[in-house]
Amino acid sequence: MTNVKKLNNHDDSLYRELVLDHWENPLNYGKIKSPDIKSVGHNPVCGDQIEITAVVKKGVLTDVAFESTGCAISKASASLFLEKIKGEKIKKIRSLKPKDALEELGITLTPARTKCALLVFTTFQKHLK
Amino acid sequence: MINIKSDFPIFKNNPDLCYLDSAATTQKPNVVIDAVTDFYEKNYSSIHRGIYTLSQDATEMYENVRKKAVDFISASDSNEIIFTSGTTEAINFAAIGYFGKHLKKGDIVVLSEMEHHSNIVPWLILKQRIGIKLFFIPVTKDGNLDYKSIDLDFKKVKLVSLTHASNVLGTVNPISEIILFFKKKNPNTKILIDAAQSIPHLKIDVKKLNCDFLVFSSHKMLGPTGVGVLWAKKELLSDMSPVITGGHMIKTVSKEIVELADIPEKLEAGTKNIEGVIGLGAAIDYIEKIGFEKIKKDEKKLVEYTLKKFAKEEKVKLFGSHKSDQRLGVFSFAVGNIHSHDMAEILNRSGVAVRSGHHCAQVLMKALNISSTTRASIYIYNTTQDIDRLFAGIKEVKKVFRI
Ligand SMILES: Cc1ncc(COP(=O)(O)O)c(C=O)c1O
Repeated sequence: MTNVKKLNNHDDSLYRELVLDHWENPLNYGKIKSPDIKSVGHNPVCGDQIEITAVVKKGVLTDVAFESTGCAISKASASLFLEKIKGEKIKKIRSLKPKDALEELGITLTPARTKCALLVFTTFQKHLK
Repeated sequence: MINIKSDFPIFKNNPDLCYLDSAATTQKPNVVIDAVTDFYEKNYSSIHRGIYTLSQDATEMYENVRKKAVDFISASDSNEIIFTSGTTEAINFAAIGYFGKHLKKGDIVVLSEMEHHSNIVPWLILKQRIGIKLFFIPVTKDGNLDYKSIDLDFKKVKLVSLTHASNVLGTVNPISEIILFFKKKNPNTKILIDAAQSIPHLKIDVKKLNCDFLVFSSHKMLGPTGVGVLWAKKELLSDMSPVITGGHMIKTVSKEIVELADIPEKLEAGTKNIEGVIGLGAAIDYIEKIGFEKIKKDEKKLVEYTLKKFAKEEKVKLFGSHKSDQRLGVFSFAVGNIHSHDMAEILNRSGVAVRSGHHCAQVLMKALNISSTTRASIYIYNTTQDIDRLFAGIKEVKKVFRI
């Protein structure tokens, strides 16, 4: 009888190439000088922080950037999600659901790590409300 | 050498578990689990109110643990201890029930940058409420408190509230010297010691320390969760107002007034965590049977072993002191630029349980200019094999992250 899950049978989907690539070289990383939108979010569990800056022109998100102290999952998720919404209409971005952010990563996450992955989404959406 | 690990059923039920999170909470030995079960099966009843034998026995068992806890910290009077739900509640009781009524605007409370949030937040709340000032003793790069050069208006320093050991860096603060330093500057300054981290590892003697308040949690010293101890000098405890009021803590109640009971009852409202206190008693017995001499000796060996491993491992940064003196087996580290969550996740794959994050010490994180660490912490049941598995895990993490 053991409660520890079988060891060493993890496939490495959590840290597959895509995640590691975006962790190493995140897209849209940095800070925009005079942004129209500036939103800071925290993951209270771990104290990680993300700051998103963005430019909106005629209802379209023309530029977006982020800086974060987060883990590989949260960084990769931010990189992928912001790349996805860049160039989109704000109206459309507003209607996105958490699953739209998660599906970019394309990996199965535990509840704790789902919070990491959704930090970018909640931080940005909070500002559009 | 006795095999301490075999006293802990968790390791029988999880043979692959490499538990390195004892600074958060310790596992429980058979004797503690049995004491709680036995109490439920043989002696369980309400305490302090029953005339029947069962209740009288339960009351006696509960009160015996009070005596045991008093001896454990070398205090002298059973009435100087109250049972709380943990360190957090104990600090809140002291902050609200005692200092809340004695501090005035402009008074200074001295803390340190290495405090757990439970020894920061209650004082921040008092700062908001009363307008007291907080001073944080800075932490050096090696994780020590830099207190000797402090220059304050010591007349105004009403309280120094410090942790005995850091839950992040493992530093054991020279608490006697620090107490002496502040008492010399102002003999009226009160001292509160947060012993949550040190109590499982070091013999504590409140008389020798000359502190005024001391707090700790049962669950970090092999006992059940939901029990803690607040010790204070008798005149201070007597002068403490109850934060929680209701049953059990009264002499008489009428429609008009309440007359409060004496300590300790006054400060133990409601039905307490009786079985938890009984379990704490068993934990104290177990620790004393092993003895602090042995605990200290064995842990020092394991700490030295671990420090050597850290020194050899490339791309790993260990925070705090790299020497085995004056430190506990609490190791906070970073590997390259890998986030602590990713570390903990990958270590978990090989059954290695470590903590990641800010460890309820965001002030310390800021002082060290980091946002989180991975923390491995040991206790009496850990072995060199556990440490080997930690380092095998660290190598695996480096592989996954290609560094
Ligand atoms: C130094 C220190 N103080 C206080 C606490 C809070 O203890 P509890 O959560 O048992 O109230 C902890 C626990 O993490 C701690 O390490």
